[in-house]
Amino acid sequence: MMAIRELKVCLLGDTGVGKSSIVCRFVQDHFDHNISPTIGASFMTKTVPCGNELHKFLIWDTAGQERFHSLAPMYYRGSAAAVIVYDITKQDSFHTLKKWVKELKEHGPENIVMAIAGNKCDLSDIREVPLKDAKEYAESIGALVVETSAKNAINIEELFQGISRQIPPLDPHENGNNGAVKLGKQATQSSRRCC
Amino acid sequence: MCTPEERALLQLEEVFSATLARVNSLVLQPLLAAATEPSDAKDRECLQLLQQLHQSTQQLWETVEESLCSLRQRLHSPESVGLDALLLLRRPDHVLQAHKEYIEAYANCVVAQAFQKAAKKQSQYWRGRRKALRQLLSGGGAEGPVGTVLLQALRQPLTHHVQQYVLLLLRLQDTIQEDHPTRELVVRAAVVFGNLQSFAGQELDQAVATQALWPTLSTRPRDVLYSPARRLLLDSLDVPVSVTPLRAERVLLLEDALALVQGSSVHTFDLKLVWLDPGPDRRELHLLTPEEEFSFRAKDPQGQVVWQWKLTQAVCQALRGKKDFPVLGAGVDPSEAPACRCTAYTFCAEGRLFQATYEGEWCRAKPHGKGTLRWPDGRNHVGDFYQGLEHGFGIRLVPQACEDKFDCFKCHWKEGSMCGYGICEYGTDEVYKGYFREGLRHGFGVLESTPQAPQPCKYTGHWERGQKSGHGIEEDSSRGERYIGMWQADQRHGPGIMVTQAGVCYQGTFQADKIVGPGTLLSEDDSLYEGTFSRDLTLLGKGKVTFPNGFTLEGSFGGGSGKGLHTQGVLDTAALPPHPSSTSKRQLGLGAFPVESRWQGVYSPFRDFVRAGCPGELREALLGFHTQSSRELRKSQEYLCCDRSCPEDGAGSMEAVLEELLQPREPAALRQSLKKALSSSLHPLGKLLRTVMLTFQAAYAGFGANKHLQQLAQEEVRQHARDLWAAYRSLLQVALQRKGQTLEDEDAETRDLQVYSLMLPLVLPSFYSELFTLYLLLHEREDNLYGQGITNLSLFPDTKLLEFLDVQKHLWPLKDLTLTTNQRRSLVQDECFLSATECLQKIMMTVDPQEKLEVLERTHAEIQATVSRVLGREQQLPMDDLLPLLIFVVSRARIQHLGAEIHLIRDMMDPMHVGGRYDFLLTALESCFEHIQTDDMRLPPLPSHVDGGDLR
Repeated sequence: MMAIRELKVCLLGDTGVGKSSIVCRFVQDHFDHNISPTIGASFMTKTVPCGNELHKFLIWDTAGQERFHSLAPMYYRGSAAAVIVYDITKQDSFHTLKKWVKELKEHGPENIVMAIAGNKCDLSDIREVPLKDAKEYAESIGALVVETSAKNAINIEELFQGISRQIPPLDPHENGNNGAVKLGKQATQSSRRCC
Repeated sequence: MCTPEERALLQLEEVFSATLARVNSLVLQPLLAAATEPSDAKDRECLQLLQQLHQSTQQLWETVEESLCSLRQRLHSPESVGLDALLLLRRPDHVLQAHKEYIEAYANCVVAQAFQKAAKKQSQYWRGRRKALRQLLSGGGAEGPVGTVLLQALRQPLTHHVQQYVLLLLRLQDTIQEDHPTRELVVRAAVVFGNLQSFAGQELDQAVATQALWPTLSTRPRDVLYSPARRLLLDSLDVPVSVTPLRAERVLLLEDALALVQGSSVHTFDLKLVWLDPGPDRRELHLLTPEEEFSFRAKDPQGQVVWQWKLTQAVCQALRGKKDFPVLGAGVDPSEAPACRCTAYTFCAEGRLFQATYEGEWCRAKPHGKGTLRWPDGRNHVGDFYQGLEHGFGIRLVPQACEDKFDCFKCHWKEGSMCGYGICEYGTDEVYKGYFREGLRHGFGVLESTPQAPQPCKYTGHWERGQKSGHGIEEDSSRGERYIGMWQADQRHGPGIMVTQAGVCYQGTFQADKIVGPGTLLSEDDSLYEGTFSRDLTLLGKGKVTFPNGFTLEGSFGGGSGKGLHTQGVLDTAALPPHPSSTSKRQLGLGAFPVESRWQGVYSPFRDFVRAGCPGELREALLGFHTQSSRELRKSQEYLCCDRSCPEDGAGSMEAVLEELLQPREPAALRQSLKKALSSSLHPLGKLLRTVMLTFQAAYAGFGANKHLQQLAQEEVRQHARDLWAAYRSLLQVALQRKGQTLEDEDAETRDLQVYSLMLPLVLPSFYSELFTLYLLLHEREDNLYGQGITNLSLFPDTKLLEFLDVQKHLWPLKDLTLTTNQRRSLVQDECFLSATECLQKIMMTVDPQEKLEVLERTHAEIQATVSRVLGREQQLPMDDLLPLLIFVVSRARIQHLGAEIHLIRDMMDPMHVGGRYDFLLTALESCFEHIQTDDMRLPPLPSHVDGGDLR
């Protein structure tokens, strides 16, 4: 039996950039045996193989409105990864993204994997954010970056595979317990009081 | 027709009746007449014995007359009166009894030499009567001294009479056909009188032997041992034995006692309390008595056999309280004396039992079974004994020195001292309920004084050899203090927390009841002092105060007497005000009292019990028992029965408890059976739960309801759920082992699942009120802000609120609304998302965190359903849309103390859910709660409804 690791992933980004569309596409495109009941489009899970492990993504959506910004720490605490989404056709959403990255660096869980998704790449003719800018920024902060299209199912798989690869492998000592160590849980417990 | 035998019987009775009449007038009447007004004790005794003999002669004569009467009737009309009408056949025992009493009265006179003494006084008179006496005796024997003649005169007619009885009855028996019913009666009567014959023979022999014994003893032993009714059964002069290790030159086996005579001293042993063991050597005999053990050594094996047989007979007879005379070497084998007996004995050897009287069951010379032990000083013990010691359940009353007060110990005992669970009510009105070992408080226990006491005090915690030691809680209500922490030798020692009625609390290290070194002091206004201070909470020495606004004051403090606080130090006002939650939520005791071992004393007796395989007889030592109060006991003074309303049979027994564990164990049934077990105080699990509830209340109820203890309390609750699950598993293991099965191991994940999804919800109600109070206090500030928030939001009509929350218009559930004519849509309140709102309110209806999470899940589903209906299609709401709707629902549900609820759910939630959908939903709820507290929500755009003073 392959070990299942639960990985909490939180979705951040302005309202309307297509955060949940990306996840819906990711979760619903492929039939998933291990799919569990989800909470609408705001909480979804999907299990993907990665090496000799299975990664079960527990994907937490957040409200993107500015007024709810202060609530975000509750959602991203204990996350193994954050997917920060912007709309390539809206420069403002890229600004917001930078604020999120800054906040995560300051208050987020240690070693959180950050993945930047420039969504709506099918609308590249009205693009406002050049890919180059995004790549340079991502490199500067050591984050993954891809341009995606939830509508056309472009780069969605790749986005999560990228995250999977960035998750550090399990400590062999902790692996002794038939491998089923919940990284998400540990991260949560160690950082619950941090906010 | 009458047989010649019957006629002979009639004649016999006629003669005997006449003889008795003559004996009376010739012998007894003169003897009595002569002995009037005796001067000394001996003569008084003689007179008494003669009077008894006279009485029994009268009775015997009446019985003979009765018998005669029945014989006459029979002979007069043999056709109408059957053979079975004869008194001899109809009531042989009645006739026998009259004879026996006569024989005994006569034998007593023989032992006391009553005839000789009386005759001596009137020798003149008797010499003149010799001739008359001679007539009473058949065939000579009337020579010799008067005394002897009198003896003969009173004895011979009876002996002869009984002999004739037997003879005639045997003859009569032969005349009756085999199968005739009366034949059986005749046979029986023949046996009865045959026995009487041998009884008379032995009784008279013993009387003669006993009479001969007394003159051979020196004065003192004789005075000690002499009684006219006492008979000698065996004398070491006849069958020699030597005694070791006690010293005795002569051993006398009397009817009711064994006497060892050495010089002028004599040592007697009650035969009821003598046990015999044949020694290894065939010449030895080992004797056990309550206070002495010794051996007889006979000259030869035959001697040993005689002593053993006689002793056994005598013991049996003493126990039966009735004489019978089997003949040595004839008839039935001597029955063995029972090992277990019931009698009373007063100990006379120095020691623990000096002058104490034990009344009850014995086995092999030791109190064993149920009994009562009373000391002359008023102490007494009623209960179970085992090999001479208190063992099992027992109640001990110990009177207080001066007053009419008792210490009452209702306990389990082991080898003479208290061990296991006990309840002790002291004369001082203190009560201890808890465990003992070797007579001392040991393990977990609660010592409580009455509320009326001048210094009411209650200790709930661990004990070691009679002293407070380990984790314990002491409440001193006169000082208004509660100490939670470590103890050693009856003193606070080690890490501890003091909570006061005023709400101030501190933590530090204690030594010999006092705090030493720096500690942490929290005042009610959330100021923090770290440093040294005195018992009366005066800051003293170096320390640092952190005020709620973030200012700090560091320096050295000193209290002038009555002049307030003096300090020299630095006040730092530069720090930013800390977040209120970090100052008001400081927790005490974190890490100071490892939760796994905090209440081990509660669980360890249970673990020992399980390790021993759950023996039924120790169940009570573990669980305690139910008895009357000591006051009732004192009143009744009837200690021999100490009933406990503890049913050993049926549902209460350990077997039944274990059996029930093996019932089907699928989740629903298991939940039910665990619920039942936990609610019964007769069940080990129920008892554990009750005990830990006591500890929980002792710590966190009353003025222990202090927010700084919340963390300690909540980890304790979870630990109890874990420990109780482990306890259930260990019981189950025993139950399976008894069936030859084994319990499959469970991995950590399964265990967590069972603990959190099964056990915790079952035990949480027992702790809920104290626990929830702590959460209320801890989250009071946020709950107040949230309360203000929802009060403000409640001023909004539904549409205004939806608009205010930026809910997208197409999601507004307006087509659900049915409006009356004079209602405008904009004024409708508490109508939108009503189903979700009502669903969410159910979160307050349960204490089970799992159920609360399920309520939350259903609330979400209701929101989804409403939205889908509005849109006319299935819509999965992303968080951007869901959160405003959820805020709407939360604000309309108006759940009190939502902050306390959320944190309690989170702390008690199965860790398996962390990161999962329940966690997500709870986080969403928490974010609503947080958001409603924000200023954003308290600036409503409807100024007309709002008091401007609230605005910042």
